[in-house]
Amino acid sequence: MKSIFISGGKLFLICAVAALTLGIINAITEPLIAERKVLELNKALNSLTGELQAAEGVTVEEESVVKAYYPVLRAGKVDSFILELSGSGYSGDMKILSRYKLNGEIISVKLMDNLETPGLGKKAENPEYMKKFIGAGSSNPVPALKSMLEQSEAEAITGATITFTGIARALDEGSRFITGGRLVEGME
Amino acid sequence: MTYIAIIITFVLIENFILTQFLGLCPFIGVSRNIDSAVGMGFAVIFVMSMASLTTWAVYNLILLPLGIAYLQTITFILVIATLVQFVEMIIQKTSPPLYKALGIYLPLITTNCAVMGIALIAVRKEFNAFESFVAGFAAGVGFLLAILVMASLREKLDSEWVPKPFKGIPIAFVTAGLMALAFMAFDKALLKNLIG
Amino acid sequence: MLKEFTKGIIKENPIFIILLGLCPALAVSTQVVNALGMGAGVIFVLLGSNIFVSLLKDFIPKKIRIPAYIVIIASFVTIVDLVMQAYAPALSRNLGVFVQLIVVNCIILGRAEAFANKNNLSRSILDALGMGIGFTLGLLLISLIREVLGAGTITLLPIGNFNGVIRIPGLYSAPVRVIALATGALLVMGYLKALFNWFEQRKKREIGVEGSSS
Repeated sequence: MKSIFISGGKLFLICAVAALTLGIINAITEPLIAERKVLELNKALNSLTGELQAAEGVTVEEESVVKAYYPVLRAGKVDSFILELSGSGYSGDMKILSRYKLNGEIISVKLMDNLETPGLGKKAENPEYMKKFIGAGSSNPVPALKSMLEQSEAEAITGATITFTGIARALDEGSRFITGGRLVEGME
Repeated sequence: MTYIAIIITFVLIENFILTQFLGLCPFIGVSRNIDSAVGMGFAVIFVMSMASLTTWAVYNLILLPLGIAYLQTITFILVIATLVQFVEMIIQKTSPPLYKALGIYLPLITTNCAVMGIALIAVRKEFNAFESFVAGFAAGVGFLLAILVMASLREKLDSEWVPKPFKGIPIAFVTAGLMALAFMAFDKALLKNLIG
Repeated sequence: MLKEFTKGIIKENPIFIILLGLCPALAVSTQVVNALGMGAGVIFVLLGSNIFVSLLKDFIPKKIRIPAYIVIIASFVTIVDLVMQAYAPALSRNLGVFVQLIVVNCIILGRAEAFANKNNLSRSILDALGMGIGFTLGLLLISLIREVLGAGTITLLPIGNFNGVIRIPGLYSAPVRVIALATGALLVMGYLKALFNWFEQRKKREIGVEGSSS
């Protein structure tokens, strides 16, 4: 009987030491990890806003695609919105940041976290890729089918159509979100 | 994700062995004949479903509320190890021949990337309890599917001519590679076409 | 002594000879930088685990040794996971669940059970280093083949202005895509293992011939 207690006690000791050590490491790394996330986000937002500044983000609860929105201010008034979108890609969810005019028109898009196939879907990380979406969303519909693209653009996404439609659908949802009156407009 | 989507995803589209490479050791090791493959498959289904449910509970009811989510790796693997011990005892009591056939591979389910994998993936995808269970079950079924097909193919291969360097393990990998190629037909597009 | 180190590299190479640690080997080998990161993580955990198991080999009772080893290994894996998230987030994202899956990497528990709990500290350290480096080299081999042929690039660490991606002319514009996908991993593994087998069989034949002629 005694040996069980000794064994159990030793195991408990090892677990306790392990938990303690990890607690310390976690205490050190947790703030770093959080800081990094904020830095990365700000860097991405700034790449879309240029000289303007993005204000505090607001998390969106009930939507599946639109995760958060950031008002972009020019001289104190809301000039445009950056939406954080969750698109359904080939190998999982894709995080997309897109800047929209107040009428839902797309100004710029940036593909962030994704697990798309290198050489295929991953090419969407290239800023050139997003050119096909710029200007769409208001009077021009967001191209969501290969047939809605120009010949060269359609060829460029061959073999990576799922990535394309995933991004397109997410961007379209974003447009609807903006024009749907869900945003707090009283920011004059 | 709807339950149908979860099932189709984990059985076919993100098949643990042929797409995600989780669970390769037992896959290569136990697929030499159909009987042990089936036994292994069922054991894995049971362990994976129970594991994903239990780890969901541990993560959401203990780790998160206490703010010790970083102990996820340790707690999950200990839970799985305990579960496997339990399953081992059950199999030993109910079917000694199966126990003998599975041999070392039964305790090796503990260090099986598939079980730990589904536990971690279910947490990452933020499934609820039932969704985690279904995901674990489906992933296990995917494993069974892959190992069953593999065993049938390998049984046939044993009576065929194989170049000497390829005999045994290498030809098994090449076979698996061709199976993976076939499984590429199951992708997101299929899911979209089936469910929309 | 040196043999403890070198055996892990070729003779008992964890990936190709003992066939352990396959899951991360195939899943992570799409880019060279992933192989380097994963290798570094495994070496760290192997070292930590072998050192502590060896140091505590008389303290840990035989009955509870497996759970004890698991706790030790899992702790080091968590350290790697947290540190990677904090200091190398891109790598952490690329490797995904496979960082945490190092805890079920059979190599580590295998070395703890087969070696570290029976040998002294310095031997255990050498064993860990040898196995870890052997694993990394095996992983690098697979990744090089898969990335060069499958995507036409070699991705290393971004330093300064260099974004880390070396493009190989010719292959970059027309890579053999299937090799970078799941199928390719299994096929490459099969062919490499066959190559290893072929070398071994040839060696055995040569020894056999020499033996019979002397």
